[in-house]
Amino acid sequence: MAEVIAAVLMTAGTVFFIAGTVGLLRFPDIYCRLHALTKADGLGLALIALGTALLAGSAGAVFRIALIWFFVAVASATCSHLVARHARQTGTEVQHG
Amino acid sequence: MRATSPLRLNASARVPSVIPSDRPDGPAADAAQTPPAVRPPALPRRLHSLRRGGISVLILSVMWGALTGWQLEAVIFGAPAVFLAAALPWMLPASPGWRLSLRGMLIFGVWFTVQSVRGAVDVTLRALSPDMGLRPAFCAYPLALPAGAPQITFINTITLLPGTLSAEVVDDTVIVHMLDARIDPAPGLADLEYRIRLLFALSPNPEHLS
Repeated sequence: MAEVIAAVLMTAGTVFFIAGTVGLLRFPDIYCRLHALTKADGLGLALIALGTALLAGSAGAVFRIALIWFFVAVASATCSHLVARHARQTGTEVQHG
Repeated sequence: MRATSPLRLNASARVPSVIPSDRPDGPAADAAQTPPAVRPPALPRRLHSLRRGGISVLILSVMWGALTGWQLEAVIFGAPAVFLAAALPWMLPASPGWRLSLRGMLIFGVWFTVQSVRGAVDVTLRALSPDMGLRPAFCAYPLALPAGAPQITFINTITLLPGTLSAEVVDDTVIVHMLDARIDPAPGLADLEYRIRLLFALSPNPEHLS
């Protein structure tokens, strides 16, 4: 049962990763692309981490997975802010449409 | 910001009475913070900063131990790393102290989960729909939270809310990028601000409660 739930979670996570990549390719400018990367990939990682944690054999492994998720989430939000700030300060154009 | 200084006074006035329950649970860099210079000394300052250092060493040691599976050989790298990391706050400029409320953490955790799912589903549907429904724009939102951990949490969480991304901080204002300018971001941001006040056990800001 745990395997089935884990597989469903990981599949859903992969869908969000793919959607994030599609957004990265399709969205018109750097700011919109950052939305796609941070939000979709963030949830994708969370779902895959949850699925992996279900299959993990020990509490230590679950703790490590939770730490990885936490630090990636903080780093992703911080990095997207830094990329957007750099884009604004160097005058990157905003695309409409 | 008009609201900032009275709120900061409130926050620092509350801290000394709750020092025994002050347990930072944040990431390693935030886990050890030196007390603010303005705090009235409930404990002698030296003792207080030693206590903070002790807590940092304890938290970092548990993290290292769990990461390495409590192997004895890992202590060779772990012990110097833990003590260096715990010493970092003494080398950095003092930042305001903060504490977390357990109830606020639970409420924030549940709300954060729901919002990040909403944000990701929203951006996924836009990426996969033929007409992406984008109307990108920037807006400015005044920062009313105290500087330090509450403000950083606010700015980082904006990015995970549906349709908003924190792009830049200019003085006391955060510049927010929106995917769809037809949706007003202000109510969502005020809600987030209110929940961060709960999370950090700050007094609610009446300006944003309406």
